[in-house]
Amino acid sequence: MNNKLNENLISSLIKNNSKVLDIGCGNGSLLQYLETNKNINGQGIEISHKGVQECVSKGLSVIQGNADTDLIHFPNNAFDIVILSRTLQATHKPKDILYEMLRIGKKCIVSIPNFGHWKCRLQILFEGKMPMTKSLSSQWYETENIHLCTIKDFVEICKILNIYIEAAYTNNEYKIKKLNNPDNFLNNLLSKEGIFVLTKK
Amino acid sequence: MGTTGPASINENTGEKYAMHFPIFTIKDMVNLQIKLIDFLKIDQLFSILGGSMGGMQVLEWASSYPERLYTAVPIATSYRHSAQNIAFHEVGRQAIMNDPNWHKGNYYSNNNKPKHGLSVARMIAHITYLSEGAFQKKFGRDMQNKVLSWGFDADFQVESYLRHQGSSFVDRFDANSYLYITRAMDYFDLANQYNGNLSLAFKNTKCKFLIISFTSDWLFPTSESLKVVKALNKTAANVSFIEVVSDKGHDSFLLKVDEFYDILTGFIHGAARKKGIQ
Repeated sequence: MNNKLNENLISSLIKNNSKVLDIGCGNGSLLQYLETNKNINGQGIEISHKGVQECVSKGLSVIQGNADTDLIHFPNNAFDIVILSRTLQATHKPKDILYEMLRIGKKCIVSIPNFGHWKCRLQILFEGKMPMTKSLSSQWYETENIHLCTIKDFVEICKILNIYIEAAYTNNEYKIKKLNNPDNFLNNLLSKEGIFVLTKK
Repeated sequence: MGTTGPASINENTGEKYAMHFPIFTIKDMVNLQIKLIDFLKIDQLFSILGGSMGGMQVLEWASSYPERLYTAVPIATSYRHSAQNIAFHEVGRQAIMNDPNWHKGNYYSNNNKPKHGLSVARMIAHITYLSEGAFQKKFGRDMQNKVLSWGFDADFQVESYLRHQGSSFVDRFDANSYLYITRAMDYFDLANQYNGNLSLAFKNTKCKFLIISFTSDWLFPTSESLKVVKALNKTAANVSFIEVVSDKGHDSFLLKVDEFYDILTGFIHGAARKKGIQ
C-alpha cells in the first residue's frame, strides 16, 4: 500500500497548526510529515517499544501506550484531528476505540484495509483459506490483525455509533480516489483500503 | 555541595543549626532555584531534567512555574513518595537517630559522628537503588576469600560492597542533612493540594514533557511514571513517555544506558529545533 499517497491525503485534510493525535503512530513518519508540512502540534501513542524509541529520538511527542486502554485519559475535544491509520483491525475493542476517538477529537481520520476486496473474497471462495494480501501478510495464527472488516462493515459501525462520514477515499496503490458511496457493492469490491473522515453527528 | 543545611552556622546563635534547622520541602528547593534564575535574569529555561528527587523537582517546576521552562524531563520519579519508599526512608532515619553518637543531632563538636547509623541508612538505600538482577549479575554468591569465616565478617562480595558504600558515604554526607532531605521527599505530594487530582497540578501547561522510567526500577516503578503520564493526558499536554529496558534498577538514570541516552538526545534536539535554537 502506498504510504506517500496516504500521507498526502491526510495532510490535505488537516489545517495548519492543528493539534493532532496519531494513534498507533509506528515510527512517527506521518507525524513528522505533518509537523514539517502543516506545522501541527502532534502527539502520538504507540504500543511497540521500538516505535516509541524511534519517535522520541526524532523529537516527536509520543507515549508508549495502548489504544485499547489509554484513550480514556484524554479530555473531550482535546484534539482537532485524531488519526488511526491502519490500526483499527489490530485493536481489541474497535467499537470502543471509535467511540473514544470521536469523543476526544473534533475530527477523525481512520483508514482500514478492506477485507471485502475481491482478492480476499476469491481466496476464501476458491482456496477456502483465510485471505493474505500485501498489507495483511501474516498467517491467521500469527497475525496481529484480529478485527478485520470490510468497508461496508465500517460504514455500518459508524451508523451504530452515530458517526457522520464526512468523506471517504480509497488508496489503490497508484492513486487516491474519492468514494461517494463507499459501501456500495463495487466500491467495497474494488477498494484495497478505505480512508474515512469522521465527525460527530 | 549544597546550600544551607543543618551543618551551617545559624547567624542568630553563632552555632550550627543541627535539628533547629527548619523542615524544608521539594517546593522550597524549587523556589530557591527560581530565585537563582531570577537573579541571573533568565525568563525561561530550555529544559529542566532530573532523576529521583531531581525528578520531583522537575514536576514541581512544571506545576508551579510552567512558564519558566520549555521542556520538563522527570526521570525515574513520582509525583509523590509511596508508602514503601517512606518506609525505607524511615528505617534509614531510625538507624541514624539510634546511633549513640547522634545525640539528638548535636554531634558536630564531638569527635565521634553518627557514622554507623548513616552508613546503615546508606546501605539500605543502596539496595533500593539496584535491582535483584543487578545484584545477582554483579556479585552472585561470589566470596571475598575462598573460605567462609563461619562468622559475621563480610564473606560475600556483596556485603563488602555495601559496607564500602556505607562507609564512603559518611565522609561526604552529613547525617542530619540525610534526615532532612529524606523527609522532604516523604512530604512531597503534588496532588495533595488538588484533592488528589494530579491533572489539576498541570492545568494549561505548555511544557513539553519527556517522562522516562526503567524496567528494573522498583523504587520508582513504571506504574508511578504512568500516573503522571495519565494526569498529563487529561490536560492534553505534549508528553512523551518511554520505559527504558535496563537491569540496573533505579540507578539506571545515573548510568550509561544507551537507549536512555539516545532518547534524551533525540528529545533535546527535537525540542531545540522547535524552539528555533538549533
